[in-house]
Amino acid sequence: MTDIQADLARPLALARSPATEREQNVFTVLPWLYLAPALILLMMWTYVPLVQAFQLSFYQWNMLPTAPQRYVGLTNYQRLLALPEMRAALWNTLFYILGLFPMSVVIPLFVAIWTQDLTGRARTVYRALIFVPMIVAPVVAAVLWRWLLNEDQGLVTLGLEQLGFGRIGFLTDPKYALATLTWITGWKLIGFSTLLFSAANAGINPSYIEAARIDGATRWGIIRDLRLPLLSPTILLLSMMTILFGAQWSFAYINVLTNGGPLKSTTNIFYLLWEYGFQTLSAGWSSAAGMIAFAGFAVIAAGCLWLMKRFAVYDN
Amino acid sequence: MTIDVPDNQPPMPLSPNEGTTRRIAVHGIMILLSALSIFPIYWMIVTSLRPENEIFSTLPWPSNPSLENYVFVLTRIPMLQMLVNTTIVATATAALQVLTGLLTAYALVRWRMRLAGLVHGLIALSWLVPFQVTMIPNYVLASRLGLLDTLTGLVVPNAVAAFAILLLYHSMRSFPTEILEAARIDGAKSWRILWQIVTPNMGAPIASLAIIAFISAWNEYFWPLLLSRKPENSVVQIGLQMFMTQEGNLWGPLMAAAALASLPILVIYLILQRHVIESFMKSGIR
Repeated sequence: MTDIQADLARPLALARSPATEREQNVFTVLPWLYLAPALILLMMWTYVPLVQAFQLSFYQWNMLPTAPQRYVGLTNYQRLLALPEMRAALWNTLFYILGLFPMSVVIPLFVAIWTQDLTGRARTVYRALIFVPMIVAPVVAAVLWRWLLNEDQGLVTLGLEQLGFGRIGFLTDPKYALATLTWITGWKLIGFSTLLFSAANAGINPSYIEAARIDGATRWGIIRDLRLPLLSPTILLLSMMTILFGAQWSFAYINVLTNGGPLKSTTNIFYLLWEYGFQTLSAGWSSAAGMIAFAGFAVIAAGCLWLMKRFAVYDN
Repeated sequence: MTIDVPDNQPPMPLSPNEGTTRRIAVHGIMILLSALSIFPIYWMIVTSLRPENEIFSTLPWPSNPSLENYVFVLTRIPMLQMLVNTTIVATATAALQVLTGLLTAYALVRWRMRLAGLVHGLIALSWLVPFQVTMIPNYVLASRLGLLDTLTGLVVPNAVAAFAILLLYHSMRSFPTEILEAARIDGAKSWRILWQIVTPNMGAPIASLAIIAFISAWNEYFWPLLLSRKPENSVVQIGLQMFMTQEGNLWGPLMAAAALASLPILVIYLILQRHVIESFMKSGIR
């Protein structure tokens, strides 16, 4: 597919009329004029800052413009890696990501397969409803769930009490807070993932299923041997998104709802960066932690892309 | 990643017995998932309409609906100003992302440059750099440029987006080359070809991009959190968070503030529902 498109694009770039030959010199500058706005902005706000953050990670600086930046070599990294706080944040990052998987991949996948023969009006209505959390702002989602889970009069708390359970400090008990934030992060994703899987599942060529059924394959056999392999590009894509961005998605909920507490139980690596940077004003530590996170996620991203190339089954 | 959305998957033939049980189970799951998705928003609106003395009521509708919570929010914080600010910021961000996206995609499609691979890589990889990693240098830069506590500062760093460029690049590549060739032979300059021939034919991808960019910019929280100082120079997300910190247990007004902060997005969704869903699905998760 990609190759065909590349072939279509080539004549456009290669074929030259006499008029364009004369403008050859202009042509070497002209494309860069079109590229300039995007490239300048990306340099200014992404790549130069990335290099600066790398430099800052070797310095001690309290973020005041007048204060000196003192070179400390690898001290920031050594201190950070020895810090229990950092280790806890890395573990929590892992828990957020693992906790998101059922809601961003597993449940949507099975709901999509299970409900595939839904058609007509009902399907349209369900689609419209389960998509809504995706466009709700994270701060709004945080506030909504804070109200529903409120320890005194929240609807969920009252419901649990009716069922004979005690009150649960969803956001105030270190045992539950991380799970609660993971739930809110997943709430925004579950419907959207279901829609993505449904679309991919509906795109499977029905003649394959028909052929398998004629061969006597069971419903589960068809799912295992046909649907899951053919859905693997979507499964891997959503898994990669969850791994790479899951911890970033939960940032807003941590900041609005728990500030990383209680007892640091909800602090993940991105919240730690923010705390070091803008709460304790230690730019060097924040940058060093940022570099560790960036390097870690870059390695994981490369691994995921490799996995996708290696294992995804494409229906050609 | 593009996912086509066919509507007409033929339903699986089922034996009549299996059919009814299964149909009930299927609808059961979808009703559960729908309720889970929509109920918190419904409860927000119901709570926001309850007068103060009924705020803890568990009736599924407000028995004496009143707008007093909305009035309270509007008098307590500069909510209207914030809504105006957010509209300006989100509109400007969406417009600029479309503009920089069109220029960049056009350059990459039309010319074959020696460094095209590098440019492509720089654009695609920028999507992987977490904002929290570059936030300190970004903050320092914004304060040097005098952008702290301004709306311009909220827009400029988001004026270019990797996904915007890539989305437009992929749709532009399938643009019929004969038309461009004909225009070029007629002596049309690249600038005119872009605006008079390419752009008018890119309506659908531009609309998708504008919808996603507007909604994401409206919901953006982290950069305004760093940049804004005064409520009247800030956006609704920050306003909502400030209101929660100050009046966190006034549930009625808090829900009214949350409803105001999400109202424009919900209205857009009500009007353009199919379009919004498909735009998001075409462009993956972000």
